[in-house]
Amino acid sequence: MNLLLWLAPILVPLAVGAVLTLRPGRGTSWLLAAAPVPALLLAVTGPVLPAPELPWLLLEPRLALDEPGRVLLGLTALVWIIAGVYGRTEAEQRGGFADWWLLSLTGNIGLLLSDDILTFYTAFVVMTLAAYGLVVHSRTAEARRAGRVYLVLGVAGETLLLAGLLLAAADATGLRMADIAIAVAQSPDRDLIMALLVAGFGIKAGVIGLHIWLPLAHPAAPFAASAVLSGAMIKAGLVGWLRLLPIGVVALPGWSEVLVTLGLATAVLGVALGLTQRAPKVVLAYSSVSQMGFITLLIGVALASPSAAPVAVAAAAAYALHHGIAKAVLFLAVGLLPQFGTGWRRTTLLVGVVVAGLALAGAPLSSGAFAKAWMKQAIDLALPGTNLTTLASLAAVGTTVLMARLLLLLRARLPDTAAVGSAAGLEPFSTLVAATLVATPLVAPALFPALATPGARSLVTEALWPVALGLLLATAAVLLRRRVSLHIPEVWPGDLVVITERAVSGAARGLAAAAPPVTTTLSRTSSAVQAAALALGRRDEGLDRLEDRLTRWRTGGAMVALVALAVTAALLLPAR
Amino acid sequence: MAELDLNAALPVLLLLTSLVPAGIIFLLAEEQERTRRVVNMAGALAKVVLTGVLIAGVLGGAEYEWRRALLPGIDLVLRVDPIPLLFVTLSSILWLTTTVYAIGYLEKGQRRSRFFGFFSLCVTATIGIALAGNLVTFLLFYELLTIATYPLVVHQGDRKALIGGRAYLLYSVTGGAVLLVAIAWLHALAGPVEFLDYTPLAGLVDDNATSLTLIFVLLIAGLGVKTALVPLHGWLPKAMVAPAPVSSLLHAVAVVKAGAYGIVRVVYDLYGLALAQELRLLTPLLVLAAVTIVYGSLRALAQDDLKRRLAYSTVSQLSYIVLGVGIASLAGVTGGLVHLIHQGIQKVTLFYCAGNLAKQLGVTRISQMRGVGRRMPLTMGAFTVAALGMIGIPPTAGFVTKWHLGLGGLQAGQGVVIWILLLSSVLNAAYFLPIIARIWFLRPEGEEAGAPVMERDLERDPWLVLPAVVTGLSVLVVGLLAGAPLSPLNWAASIAAEVVGS
Repeated sequence: MNLLLWLAPILVPLAVGAVLTLRPGRGTSWLLAAAPVPALLLAVTGPVLPAPELPWLLLEPRLALDEPGRVLLGLTALVWIIAGVYGRTEAEQRGGFADWWLLSLTGNIGLLLSDDILTFYTAFVVMTLAAYGLVVHSRTAEARRAGRVYLVLGVAGETLLLAGLLLAAADATGLRMADIAIAVAQSPDRDLIMALLVAGFGIKAGVIGLHIWLPLAHPAAPFAASAVLSGAMIKAGLVGWLRLLPIGVVALPGWSEVLVTLGLATAVLGVALGLTQRAPKVVLAYSSVSQMGFITLLIGVALASPSAAPVAVAAAAAYALHHGIAKAVLFLAVGLLPQFGTGWRRTTLLVGVVVAGLALAGAPLSSGAFAKAWMKQAIDLALPGTNLTTLASLAAVGTTVLMARLLLLLRARLPDTAAVGSAAGLEPFSTLVAATLVATPLVAPALFPALATPGARSLVTEALWPVALGLLLATAAVLLRRRVSLHIPEVWPGDLVVITERAVSGAARGLAAAAPPVTTTLSRTSSAVQAAALALGRRDEGLDRLEDRLTRWRTGGAMVALVALAVTAALLLPAR
Repeated sequence: MAELDLNAALPVLLLLTSLVPAGIIFLLAEEQERTRRVVNMAGALAKVVLTGVLIAGVLGGAEYEWRRALLPGIDLVLRVDPIPLLFVTLSSILWLTTTVYAIGYLEKGQRRSRFFGFFSLCVTATIGIALAGNLVTFLLFYELLTIATYPLVVHQGDRKALIGGRAYLLYSVTGGAVLLVAIAWLHALAGPVEFLDYTPLAGLVDDNATSLTLIFVLLIAGLGVKTALVPLHGWLPKAMVAPAPVSSLLHAVAVVKAGAYGIVRVVYDLYGLALAQELRLLTPLLVLAAVTIVYGSLRALAQDDLKRRLAYSTVSQLSYIVLGVGIASLAGVTGGLVHLIHQGIQKVTLFYCAGNLAKQLGVTRISQMRGVGRRMPLTMGAFTVAALGMIGIPPTAGFVTKWHLGLGGLQAGQGVVIWILLLSSVLNAAYFLPIIARIWFLRPEGEEAGAPVMERDLERDPWLVLPAVVTGLSVLVVGLLAGAPLSPLNWAASIAAEVVGS
């Protein structure tokens, strides 16, 4: 029974994947929405039964579910279920989509349930690689470019992560997440490990500077996939931080400062870059970057003082829940609008956008108001006397303006009559909108007694002014726009990527100009890897010639002797 | 008495299961396809069964040794020790799958009689190398391997094949000669030395440390040729002109693996870890392995020819084993030993798949691999899993290796190992992930959107598809079930405990 409870969330998506591969089509595609249901059940019941031990599987996987894990598992399952309803159409139209979808889902749930680093890392990697299939699904040139950037950053993140895990595991007493967190705290290489983990997970969480893949990849995917990428999968970085950083073990003021600063910078710059965008999905992706900044900030707060850590962790989980649902609503709405372009359906969708947008901005009594109130509670507890709360409120002003811009962009969009109608109605969407309103205020306090019930002051008064100010600014901007032509500088989606790409292809072109023209063309070079490979390819002929010469008769024997001599010398020199 | 005889006979029987088929096949006429198949399969199956018997016996505490005097004072010894058993198991299983594959791969008129004869001989030599109880026996079979493999490398008979074959022969013969010198020197110094008997060498440390070091260098240089350690690797990318079944066996079990296995035995079973450490032999080995790993990966990155890229990947991956040998800690030794198995099943799968691509679609270059995933889903699925294993993506076998090597490096105080491993992983990702993306996410050339080509015929031949799928699955299973009692990992770990403890 406990096997069923614990393993069904991981195995059911895999089984569904097998079914959909063998028998694709309308009759089975509803399974896409059913696959995360066991995970939702586990999140709702909680760990009522002990986790099974599986000693013979991959280096002894351990499963566990703590309170933040329950919140995130519930969020993940909910978002994947609702998005699955709308992902059906995509899955029916082109093979492969369902496979990548379900594999990503398996990874996403697996990383939430795992309690040892190897299982966690496995799930993390499976999710990252499988989601590549979702990003490039449309097969357009844009999607492929997004996919390439996604993959390069993904592999980089996983490599940094593995280095951090290995360094920590070498000194740890066991491979459980808690053992590693303690080992990180005590390791002589603590700062190196911290840097590796912060950067490795930071890539997934979209920390500024490492966020560059996100505004490309999230919008490139079909909208249902964008919803799970931005609503659920983006939280994987948070999970990693929560479990593996020595939160609640030691106070690391230096790292706390780093993460708080990074978090604030991400929150502010995410909004600023998002405001320059015209495509609604890109605006949303930048908003995700910005919102993850608040969560990064909370991780920094949690590292400031072990006693305040439980509150900060609870606040981070609550914030993740709030943001995940709201962001999924927004991505689904953006994707569904062209399909339901008229009448009450359009109104429903726009109402959903307004509700979720206001929630993200932290409007009074919304889930965002609760989440931000708890964030302030954590900040006041861990870092009293700082002006962090004010800065966070200012960032909320930005979010309001960003959401206003999104609404204007969406309203200006005409219904696309050619869009394929989805088989599903708007009921699942409406359910998610309802969840935006109630889930965070109800679930978080029930699971985290540490969170104080926010008073009217923090829920209404303090929540009102950033939103009001934001709306005022947005209105002013609109009015101003009517009078004078306001020039917003356009930033390419993926900002830094574009700069990097240009630098790399410039360098590659320089290389090509310097070297005599050879067989390969450089026109398609756009990633650093390709450029490096091609540069090497040119030298390759030289190396081939060298190796050819080495294979000749006379050199063969002489060389073995030479190598023997060289190694001997190397061996003898340091000898006593 | 009868019991004793059987125990002595088993190692020889193991050799005969491929030697006898070799003899029969040479006598068969080219057209006797059916008989040849039966003989081949019977031999391969018998070897797997016998290996099973050996494993069961060893688990039960039995000892298997066969010994005959060769020269005065020098015995020919075949003995089943822990590390040999690991290698024998790998060889028997992959010989079976490769035999199946070769039967499917070679067509009429391709001199199948000669091919399968030498093929069986090649495996005989490998088993001999595996079971060799002393260096002389080892050398004997090592040279037999060189000779038996040459006709397989030049099987196509064209200019390219002959050039590749010549390179192979030159390197191997020279390497063998160096090995011979080393062994002769060792015998002059210490008398007959057997594996796992450390006393003769340990007694020489005080007076003859320099000689022991020099002998070690010569041994590694001789074995390093087959192991394709840089700069002795030049023959390997040339020898990949051999037909796919040969490449598979050559890269996974027989030739290159025999070299790596030799290094493993020299360090663990001849010198012993303690002596090797005392003589400070491990660090230079580690450096050599690290250079080879990185160089091989960099060269692989630049190849467009699929088999050439795989060949350079072998250069790199094989040195993971040598890297493990260079790390004197429990996890490090485990990682190196288990990679004997893991590299084998991964690389064999990749070569099967490359062969299937070339045979069914005429695709030999990576740039031609657009969208082949949908045309040959099973083959390319296996390819994908094996390639992910090469990168070391969990939950494949390759990750298990990488994790243990990295952990071992840190335990031994050689933290630099993890950076080499991670650099290699990134390079592996850089040359395998684009292939995987090309296979699955690009449209086949000439195909319009929404009109998928479904050619079920491409994967109809079970002789070709089954081996790839089975070994590909095993890459996943070995990784997923790494904690299971008889998994390669646990096996390697128990051997490592003995090696480190001794």
